[in-house]
Amino acid sequence: MSTYVLKRIITIVPIFLLTTLLTFGMINLSPVDPAEAYFAAAHIQATDEMLEQKRHEFGLDQPLFIQYVNALIKICQFDFGISYVTNKPVWEEISSRMPATIQLTIGSLLIAILVSVPIGFLAGIKKNSGIDHFSRFLSFIGASIPSFWLGYLFIFFFSVKLDLFPVEGTGTWKHLILPSVTLAFPLIALYTRLLRASVLENLQESYVLFARTRGIHEKIIMGKHVLRIAISPMITGLGMNLGNLMTGAVIVEAVFSWPGFGRLFIDAIFNRDVPVIQGYVLLAAGLFLISNLIVDLIQLYIDPRISRKERQYQ
Amino acid sequence: MLNPKNKKRFLLMSVMVLILSMALLGCSIESVENEKSESTTESDNMITFAWPRDIGELNPHIYNPSQLFAQSMLYEPLVSYQDGGELKPQLAESWEISEDGKEYLFHLRQDVKFTDGSNFNAEIVKKNFDAILANVDLHSWLGFISKIDQTEVIDEYTFKLTLTESYYPTIQELAVVRPVRFLGEAGFPQDGDTSKGIEKPVGTGPWVLDEYKADEFAVFKRNEDYWGELPSIEKIKVKVIPDAETRVLAFEKGDLDVVYGEGVIGIDSFKQLESTGSYGSSISEPVATRQLVMNTNKEQLSDVRVRQALHYGFNKQAMVEGVTSGLEEKADYILPTNFPYTSNLDATKVDYNVEKAKQLLDEAGWKLPKGKNIREKDGKPLEIELMYNSAESIQKTMAETLQSEWTGLGVKLNIVGVELTTQVERFKANEFDMNFFSNYGAPYDPHTFVNIVATEGFGFREAISAYSNKEELLNQIAEVKQTTDENERQELYTEILGSLQEQGAIVPVSYIKKIAVYQKNVSNFTFPANRDEHPFTGISIKK
Repeated sequence: MSTYVLKRIITIVPIFLLTTLLTFGMINLSPVDPAEAYFAAAHIQATDEMLEQKRHEFGLDQPLFIQYVNALIKICQFDFGISYVTNKPVWEEISSRMPATIQLTIGSLLIAILVSVPIGFLAGIKKNSGIDHFSRFLSFIGASIPSFWLGYLFIFFFSVKLDLFPVEGTGTWKHLILPSVTLAFPLIALYTRLLRASVLENLQESYVLFARTRGIHEKIIMGKHVLRIAISPMITGLGMNLGNLMTGAVIVEAVFSWPGFGRLFIDAIFNRDVPVIQGYVLLAAGLFLISNLIVDLIQLYIDPRISRKERQYQ
Repeated sequence: MLNPKNKKRFLLMSVMVLILSMALLGCSIESVENEKSESTTESDNMITFAWPRDIGELNPHIYNPSQLFAQSMLYEPLVSYQDGGELKPQLAESWEISEDGKEYLFHLRQDVKFTDGSNFNAEIVKKNFDAILANVDLHSWLGFISKIDQTEVIDEYTFKLTLTESYYPTIQELAVVRPVRFLGEAGFPQDGDTSKGIEKPVGTGPWVLDEYKADEFAVFKRNEDYWGELPSIEKIKVKVIPDAETRVLAFEKGDLDVVYGEGVIGIDSFKQLESTGSYGSSISEPVATRQLVMNTNKEQLSDVRVRQALHYGFNKQAMVEGVTSGLEEKADYILPTNFPYTSNLDATKVDYNVEKAKQLLDEAGWKLPKGKNIREKDGKPLEIELMYNSAESIQKTMAETLQSEWTGLGVKLNIVGVELTTQVERFKANEFDMNFFSNYGAPYDPHTFVNIVATEGFGFREAISAYSNKEELLNQIAEVKQTTDENERQELYTEILGSLQEQGAIVPVSYIKKIAVYQKNVSNFTFPANRDEHPFTGISIKK
């Protein structure tokens, strides 16, 4: 078990290295000249000498390989460089906005789980019932409405018309509701369907039949056995989406003026603030890797078959 | 040792605890701060206003990410730019300019204090100038900065600026929002180098920063010791709302009192808010001209008759009205006429005339071959490319309109949407046929515009290569900045701007304006004459 966890953690290292290489490569392939971008962001009319000097300062006149190794060493020390626009360290810029984004992510994840688990589960065990139809409707809506539009609709109805929630900003739990629900909506659609399909599949499994013949109460079979196994694909989905949520809240953050790092990223793109873009991409990659690791560990705990299989190989 | 099952439990618990603690941490910090801010910021006599970006560091000597309007609330210039380009005393009571136009003597106001309690005097003016001059490269875009030879304290309230050569726009450039505004002693860092940051924002202006939360809001309160007329509003709250639609919704809900700026909300939203009749709204005087720049280096556009034909060949009035819903005004001149030296521009007004356009093209040798839609000359079709900023819907729609209008003349217009940075780069590198441009506006023009036209590497100088009087124009532009004779200067400007326009490479399209929408209880809203300044002078709230 612990060797499995260790192995799992070690596999992260080469993947992360590959990510840094890809990020570095892509940034180098883009037509943006960091020196020019630097002066453009500061609104300075740069002469050729000034550009040369900046390129030297950024180390852009060195061979690509050396540049990459230098960048890698810095990344390992959480040094992503200095933002061209604010002249502050990128890590400081990102980490100061991290709490807001984490808050939003957790809020929407909680809502997504609280809504989709009961609906998906009930829709699965009561196929073609009212709740099943409702879950189908919810899924279609959730999968097809773009989140920025949903955000505007929520603001218009619940904030401007009904005055239940604030339009924008942070502070109280009320501020968190609308952006979280907006962000959670497509997830609800996805998880409900995933869980429903998985429950239906598990109901056909022989362990359910066996449990029934043993005379175990239906509620226990459903709650303790079926749900526990059926929820597994949903947790995988969660893992895939955790990284997505953290980094994909860009639009929702803009619509609700949420001060997370998604907005920082948008500004960085418009200003061609290369260090911030690079830092953000690496952070996103890191988050994906870590969230997938967490999911794997949770899976290990929930589905005993996985750890049993692991033990066989040891 | 833990058994495997307990280990798993322990692991899961740790993960959960970590996630929950992060969430709780986030919530608790936020809510405490919020309670604090809500209790102190709300006030009856307060105006709430939205801005797309955070106000920034409020360093008077630095650019991005500080926001101009916010800098102008705290810091004041020696000279202020007023309606019609009038330059009025602000922190300087008066000034004298030597015969040769090189020496400027400023007599400073004696009743001005910084918000840290220190006096505004010649010493601090010099200290600010020296901090700016320590980073000349950073500020060399502003003409007079790189011409400064010496800064001197003559006596406590007299400051002298000596230039290396005569440069008339000096006084006008002193009115810009940055970098020549004044930071108090307490704001300076130990080494005096403000380019790396300031200790705190200390100015002489009518507003003081009261509360600030990065990326969320800033509250400015009235500077009760302000030397000039005290604002009637006690506080201004600036909310950071990056999204234009959200700004409109927040305004409709009543969370905002004022929405103001250029392009801060969509044209449709402005029209819709205006049509409800529940709000006040206004549109400013022109702040800049939207221009179409033709590259005379390109063979098709090297003939002045072709350029003029294109100008005659589209219905400007209808296009501007249609595309901007009347928020912009059809432009007859390459600079708005409310700028200094631009009021009596002498250039032919070009009215929509398709027949004349066709005739001019025929005369230029571009004939329409039988059975074809595109004119040709020596077997080459009359094909032109127009570059526009793909993020700007006005440019895009105008490009499409021009494309359809000019097709009627037998001109094939290819329109290409590019990112702003690419647009600027291609313009500078002279890799374009036709491009959209707009001038800087008050208080930078007309001298900055003609300077851009004359300077290599900005796009214009290369674009007007085929002008028969190019050399003469460049000489005139060099001369106009140095002349100390007001009448001569006016004559030169009239000639330069008139000639630039007559030759048809710069086509005025529309005058860009600012908009404002405000709640009914907001009164005395006025647009600042200086394009970059805040609009809160004189604003009040009816209770």
